[in-house]
Amino acid sequence: MGAQGEQTETKIEGKEENGASSAEPAREPHRSRLRQRLTRPFGSWTGLTLWLLLLLLLAAYPYTGVSSLALLVGSQIFVLVTLASNWNLIGGLTGYVDFGHAVFFGIGAYVMGILVTRTPLLISPEWGFWQALPVSGVAAAIFALLIGLPTLRLKGPYFSIAMLGTFMAMREIARVLRPITGGGIGLNLPPILNRLGDYYLMLAVMGLVVALIWWIRRSEFGQSLIAIREDEVGAEMRGINTTLHKIVAFMIAAFFTGIVGGFWAWQNTFIDPDVVFIETRTVEMVMMSMLGGLGTVWGPPLGAVVIYFLQDLVWANLFGVHLLALGLLLVVMVLFLPEGILGTLGDRSSTSLGRLLGRVGKGS
Amino acid sequence: MPSDKQPLLEGHTVSKYFGGLAAVNNVDFAVYPGEIVGLIGPNGSGKTTLFDCLSRLQKIDSGKILFRGRDVTRARPYQIARMGLTRTFQSVRVYRKMSVLSNMLISHQWRDTSLLRMLQPSPANTARRAHELLEFLQIERLAGEQAGHLSGGQRRLLEIGMALMPDPDILLLDEATSGVNPTLIETIKDRIRALNEQGKTFLLIEHNINFIADLCSRVYVLNHGEKLAEGTPAEILQNEAVIDAYFGA
Repeated sequence: MGAQGEQTETKIEGKEENGASSAEPAREPHRSRLRQRLTRPFGSWTGLTLWLLLLLLLAAYPYTGVSSLALLVGSQIFVLVTLASNWNLIGGLTGYVDFGHAVFFGIGAYVMGILVTRTPLLISPEWGFWQALPVSGVAAAIFALLIGLPTLRLKGPYFSIAMLGTFMAMREIARVLRPITGGGIGLNLPPILNRLGDYYLMLAVMGLVVALIWWIRRSEFGQSLIAIREDEVGAEMRGINTTLHKIVAFMIAAFFTGIVGGFWAWQNTFIDPDVVFIETRTVEMVMMSMLGGLGTVWGPPLGAVVIYFLQDLVWANLFGVHLLALGLLLVVMVLFLPEGILGTLGDRSSTSLGRLLGRVGKGS
Repeated sequence: MPSDKQPLLEGHTVSKYFGGLAAVNNVDFAVYPGEIVGLIGPNGSGKTTLFDCLSRLQKIDSGKILFRGRDVTRARPYQIARMGLTRTFQSVRVYRKMSVLSNMLISHQWRDTSLLRMLQPSPANTARRAHELLEFLQIERLAGEQAGHLSGGQRRLLEIGMALMPDPDILLLDEATSGVNPTLIETIKDRIRALNEQGKTFLLIEHNINFIADLCSRVYVLNHGEKLAEGTPAEILQNEAVIDAYFGA
């Protein structure tokens, strides 16, 4: 631990040395093993292997004779992990903080609802779940293309606000377009309960999405997204077609969010504008990604699991003030853990909590 | 002036206005293959704006820019980069949270990058080239370091390395020596000369007159967005108008 502390000190000094410097000290690369592993350009296959093992364990879990409630909890956690990982692709890797990402969830949910409902609407083909599910994703991706072309030109807070506006506008559109969406009274979906099927479907989607993020993160495409996050002008000037890369990332993130939305609508058997276009869903995605570590592969899934159980705890013990508690958690996180759990483990000097731990470590 | 050859990069009556201010006003210029050309002028004379226009970061209001004889006035920045024009920035642009090596890898030539390749990690030959260039710039030992942890001078070298990664025909260096210590300036000068011998063309913005005088065969002088003079460094240093603009009358 002593060595850790010293390292941290060096890095803090290094941080102040910005821009012009008169001396060029021969700086030795000083990094912990863990950080080396986390920042290595070519991610090894270890991560993916462990992920597949975990998926196998989770696939075996229902055979241990668990209750249908446990299966529901499982599929809910898988939904959160998928959402967090998706949001991370655009918000964490690409650095476009999307405060309206739930719009894709809502679109996926509504496409599913409209396609499978038995309620007569302007369009109600009364499809089955498996026919409608891919359409939910595709519709969300197409919407991402249309909305991304103008909004992804915006930088920083302007993008965030534009997406928040898009989100709220879509909720109102869903309310107003009564002949197509059923309007404010909502839509009933065929109530078909299959907890085990839901569990495996979401396990598969989650497995796929996280593996995809892992793959993207180590590919040149993923590196180009990080480059866009770090310096978009620089990336464009060095030959990266930033518009194309951003749009593709946005569409992938929207596609799977749409799939999850479609699934959620089916599982919930009822949708209306207020339950699918709900702000807390975006806030959750942001919180889960941030808590775990923006831009990392394993951070958002970890954050999602932690947030799920925290919420459960807060609901059970502090009902009535649970939103306040979560808000406070968000503030604390931004102040003390801006790089998230994995980011802090990777580079302690980047957060005040990490530095504090480093100092404590040095003292002992 | 080697007028028998076709210019590599040329501008015809390039103008750029910010509101009523003519940042670049009717500037004509040409850079020929194999040259090192300097671009000097007092602060606010339009040097960086001209660079931004050439690298297509800024749209020009009138005039024409040709690169290798092709009209690139409407090209997007990434397109001109893929054609073989790269640049560095006055305020260094590196990807701070990426390692030095990753910074280099991602700056490879994107011209013929297939979708399949984009879905893979950087191939071994890209990595080899990155290491060679880092060695050439004498920052190889920093390859694993985060770019944000480098000193100002080291970042300048890294940025030059990134500009070299795609094997460009011409490099536009914007104040490559500012904030760099004298020893390192000699290194940069040395590297520019070596690269020039390998056939790379340079256009340099500099405040360091010695640096320009040592390296450049020709110099353009801008003042208030207009071309004040052009010629060899010796001619420029004798030029009354230039002396006036620089040292005040």
